[in-house]
Amino acid sequence: MSIYILRRLMGITGVLVVISMLVFAITQIMPGDVANVLAGQFADDATIAAIEERLGLKDPFYVQYFNWAVSALQGDFGESMVMEQPVSPMIAEAFGRSLVLAFFAFILVVIFGIGIGVWSAVRRDKPTDHALSMFSYLGISVPEFFWGIVCVLLFARLLGWLPSGGAGNLSEDGLLGWSAHLVLPVLTLTFTLVAHVSRLTRSSMIEALDSQYVLNARAKGLPERHIVRGHALRNALLPSITVLAIDVGWLLGNIVVVEAVFSYPGLGRLLLFAIERHDLPLIQAGILVIALVYCLANLAADLLYAFLNPKIRYGQL
Amino acid sequence: MRTLRDFTSDSAHWVKEQTKVDKGATLLSVEEMSLAYDSDAGRISALSSVSFDLKAGRTMALVGESGSGKSSVAKALMGLLGSNASLKGRAKLLGTDLLSLPEEQHVQFRGRDIGIVFQDPFTSLNPGMRVGQQIAEPLIWHYGADPEEAMRRTVAALAAMGMPDPEQVATAYPHQLSGGMQQRALIAGALICDPKLLILDEPTTALDVTVEARILELLEQTRNDRNLSMLFITHNLGVVNRIADDVCVLYAGEVIEIGPKDKVLGNPSHPYTRGLLASLPLLRGERRRIAPIPGGFPDLRTRPSGCIFADRCPFAEADCTSTRQSLRALRPGHEVRCWKSESTGAWPEVKRKGTRARPVASDTPILEARGLRKVYHRRVPGGGVTWEWKAGILPLPTLQTEALAAVDGIDLRLERGEILGIVGESGSGKSSFGRTILQLNGAYSGQVLFNNGDVTNLTEAELTDLRSKTQMVFQNPDSSLNPRRRVGEAIARAMRLHDKVGGGTREDVERLIERVGLPQGYYDRYPSQLSGGEKQRIGIARALATGPEFIVCDEPVSGLDVSVQATILNLLEELRDELGLSYVFISHDLAVVGHLSDRVAVMYAGRIVEIGQASQVQAPPFHPYTEVLLESAPDPRPSAVRRENKLQMRGDTVSRSPAGCAFAARCPRKIGTICEETAPPLRTFDGGHTIACHISPDDLVRSPQYPESEKDRTSDSQ
Amino acid sequence: MLGVLIALSLLAPFIIPYDPVALDITSRLQPPSTAHWLGTDEYGRDVLSRILMGGKLSLGLGFAATAVSLLLGVPLGLWAGYRGGRYEELILRGCDVLMSFPPIMLGLLILAVTPPAMWKLIIAVGIVYVPATVRLTRAVTLEIVSEEFILAARVRGERNSYILLKEILPNAMAPIVVEASLRVTFAILLGAALSFIGLGAQPPSSDWGLMISEARPLLDSAPWIALAPGFAMGLTVIAVNLLGDGLRATFDPKLRRHN
Repeated sequence: MSIYILRRLMGITGVLVVISMLVFAITQIMPGDVANVLAGQFADDATIAAIEERLGLKDPFYVQYFNWAVSALQGDFGESMVMEQPVSPMIAEAFGRSLVLAFFAFILVVIFGIGIGVWSAVRRDKPTDHALSMFSYLGISVPEFFWGIVCVLLFARLLGWLPSGGAGNLSEDGLLGWSAHLVLPVLTLTFTLVAHVSRLTRSSMIEALDSQYVLNARAKGLPERHIVRGHALRNALLPSITVLAIDVGWLLGNIVVVEAVFSYPGLGRLLLFAIERHDLPLIQAGILVIALVYCLANLAADLLYAFLNPKIRYGQL
Repeated sequence: MRTLRDFTSDSAHWVKEQTKVDKGATLLSVEEMSLAYDSDAGRISALSSVSFDLKAGRTMALVGESGSGKSSVAKALMGLLGSNASLKGRAKLLGTDLLSLPEEQHVQFRGRDIGIVFQDPFTSLNPGMRVGQQIAEPLIWHYGADPEEAMRRTVAALAAMGMPDPEQVATAYPHQLSGGMQQRALIAGALICDPKLLILDEPTTALDVTVEARILELLEQTRNDRNLSMLFITHNLGVVNRIADDVCVLYAGEVIEIGPKDKVLGNPSHPYTRGLLASLPLLRGERRRIAPIPGGFPDLRTRPSGCIFADRCPFAEADCTSTRQSLRALRPGHEVRCWKSESTGAWPEVKRKGTRARPVASDTPILEARGLRKVYHRRVPGGGVTWEWKAGILPLPTLQTEALAAVDGIDLRLERGEILGIVGESGSGKSSFGRTILQLNGAYSGQVLFNNGDVTNLTEAELTDLRSKTQMVFQNPDSSLNPRRRVGEAIARAMRLHDKVGGGTREDVERLIERVGLPQGYYDRYPSQLSGGEKQRIGIARALATGPEFIVCDEPVSGLDVSVQATILNLLEELRDELGLSYVFISHDLAVVGHLSDRVAVMYAGRIVEIGQASQVQAPPFHPYTEVLLESAPDPRPSAVRRENKLQMRGDTVSRSPAGCAFAARCPRKIGTICEETAPPLRTFDGGHTIACHISPDDLVRSPQYPESEKDRTSDSQ
Repeated sequence: MLGVLIALSLLAPFIIPYDPVALDITSRLQPPSTAHWLGTDEYGRDVLSRILMGGKLSLGLGFAATAVSLLLGVPLGLWAGYRGGRYEELILRGCDVLMSFPPIMLGLLILAVTPPAMWKLIIAVGIVYVPATVRLTRAVTLEIVSEEFILAARVRGERNSYILLKEILPNAMAPIVVEASLRVTFAILLGAALSFIGLGAQPPSSDWGLMISEARPLLDSAPWIALAPGFAMGLTVIAVNLLGDGLRATFDPKLRRHN
């Protein structure tokens, strides 16, 4: 078990190193000479040279990478070129807001995705199951930004119940006002993912219910309720953990889109802004943070999986 | 709900407050049970008017080949048939008709009054739950036992199943137990509520013979201790002989013969029963030609109006196909569904086409292995970690690998035209040996000579000659043919590749298909349109297509029904005689190997422990392991000797002792630490019979169990 | 249904009632009517015509991106599954890295460095799905390699290339195609999302994601401009999904677990 964890940790570290290299490399080949951009259109060569000198742009790329990586490890991602202020606090603030969105959405996805999946598996081929699978079909077939727009139209414009965008401030707007800004983005984020998780949970649950050990449990005369909860669910949830980890990736991606729809000032919008303006340090930091979160989510899933799966937790006798 | 009276007592034998069943009274009475499944292909009639009685304290064997409907009987009794099944008839367990019970009441019977054990122990236990918990569950649900008490009983039940360390087993997860242990745990679970009826659906089919023998013994003992009735479902007539009191033979969903075991197996009356027994190769039997049942299984969408077996029966006449057959008593308790069973003769024998001399040792063996050793490395979780510097910068943890010698020093010669049988249980390395000599297993140590030419560790390009002259016939007919390719094209491809048998034209291929006993028109079929036996024939044809001199047959009949197995064995024998082929014939079944082979090698843990003529290996002197194998192998003859105090191995997994004798750790006749510390000497007897054992040759010859061994030995060796 | 959609998209240039990019200031923001079934947008362009043309873009993107992922992923997966060892290790680690980016991020990263263009969008979306294709192909290949007919081919001395192309690939195709058909829907959705945030198709293209994005400011006054492409997209994706489910049911009921 400890070896398993150790291997996973090493693996994640390796992947992160490669990712950071990749991010750094790609941002380096972005068009438009950084120094030119910084210095402005009319700068003379000397100024540009000075800027290049200051930013270390003349160094070989691996030295640049090394310097960048070392300061990144210390939480310093440099200074935003466009905003001309340190990147880290900007990222931290936006990331905090996005985290709130992601956190609530994820909780809802776990509860409803697994719940609906299990429910429709148990009622396989009954009307409930068909209704739920229609619902999940809609969920995976319509893009989340479109749901977002429909939500805005319905709840904000037509009914006027909720704000259509922006983020609330906990101290100014109070808890109610703050959470009102969250409802629509969270709902939008949740919808697609619930559909995805519930479909997969349903199929792994059905696989478990059709297994030989469930037949054996039935042959022991156990009540169906216990067979579902005690025997099938336990094994069916193992693959769901992996699926949820993958869906964290979707969630992080969708956040970019949903934040754009609801003008929510989170990490996604910051990143889009940075891409539009070619703000290198900001792009690097934003993508790295998102990749880090995703890696950690996968690590957490792996560990949870190992912990819940006796085959990994206890090796051979 | 009934309660357990003395539930809190510590005794493992507790008494239920229930109707006591006298020994000999009818416990279960199945009457006119008919079952049909609705499938895409139409309605399939799986069972047709099946009736039998099971008496308290007795064991009834339900025997049949695949498709006979034997497992459907078990599922019907348990109320576990799917929604596409329609069921008629009655099955009364002490007066209650199980077939008409509503589900809420049937649940009460399952696990409490009827226990069941399924075939595959590896998938029957919930992988995510501790074994003890799974066994204890029925006590909690049926009797409201408190968990602690239930667990105490579970441990006692595991101990009763001969588990050496029941507490540890109870807290283990299924994957931590061997197959034999898992099956014992499942039996313990099926018996935990002390049911009156235990149904066993092929409980030992997935297990090795030595494990099977111990499970069967355990079941017999349990039945005697508890006055339990057992319904034992199997395809294996040897197992039936070992465990059953009565036998009910099913064919295509009909009972065709039913009666006491000694009568049905000793004096079979229905032609089908006779055919089944005639198809079986027998241990220590005279080398007779086995006589298979011709034809194939009937289509169960429409039952014929006459006898269901008529189209395969050598005694059939016009009346057989026109009149429906009914069960008729030959003598009290022995019934047969054949109107002329007294007048039919013995099952027709198949004449051997010509005779051939047994190949003798020569200077030009077709194949020779010298000190062959193949080691696999596997990553063992928890085995330890070493840190390695990779790419000069990163210290990476590397799991220590455990080296496992699947083939551990084998010397063998195979003469031209010889069939060498290799017998061993799972994990013995017999398949690895077969693949290694064909250069399919990657690098190995030792030497392989083919036609006196060294082919050791050659590259693929240098092997062209070997690739055409050696071939392989595989175990699993479903996996050995490419499902997306017409069988004729597969054979043509092999022909064209080496261009020796023919140019790969359609005529060439059809000639070959005909040679393996299939009719015209099979060229364009896909594997999915063939039966198991037909696929195996195509597999053999494909092997012949390169014009081989030597074929490795890796368990070629273990996936087939008995009657089909016989036809394939006969085909292989004919081809050897006709084409002068040499085989290495690998199997776990000593009777099959002994039947076909000239010489037999017994493998254990990667080494050959005994080798000799087929008859020599089946008679003393024995290597202790061979003796255990022979003792364990089920024999369908009621007259077969059943000894008390059988030899038994310790444990039920292969354990290895690298320095000494491979079998030392489990040997019932181990003589001391020398067995573990020193490699055993080779004891040679008459006619090249060799045994690797520390026991002195004289003691080996004086095998205590077979007083007539001297006589056997002299008559067998030539 | 998918057939109809594909036909409509292919025939779009011939059947559309109006030029999808022609500006018509006189008929701006008209609600659905008999002349303009789905109304017009703020430049007076016919929404129905734009949606039909957009269908071609969306479906084209979906299939092209999937083709990219198959072209790159299938050979790598086959090789990894058949050869094992170092190659497999290397290919799988590469996939791990690619998979460590959330899907949109990878697209973003690729599109962020250069000005957006349709072909880049296709390649970006295609690359996003390469790791998944590699893994599936490898898993299927591993299963097939363990079959005895592969050993039979080795016994008679077939070359590796023959075994890979003639023995393994035909048997691996069914699950790969089924999976690819579902991949098409993901690709359509991902492409639309990237266009929506401005990194995919560029104006005046009538890509659905772009149309929705452009119509957002007008949501109050002319909701049909945004809703119509949304519904069109939902319809298309459902159609492709149904096709995928159909393929899956025909080919292999066991395939469920690969998703």
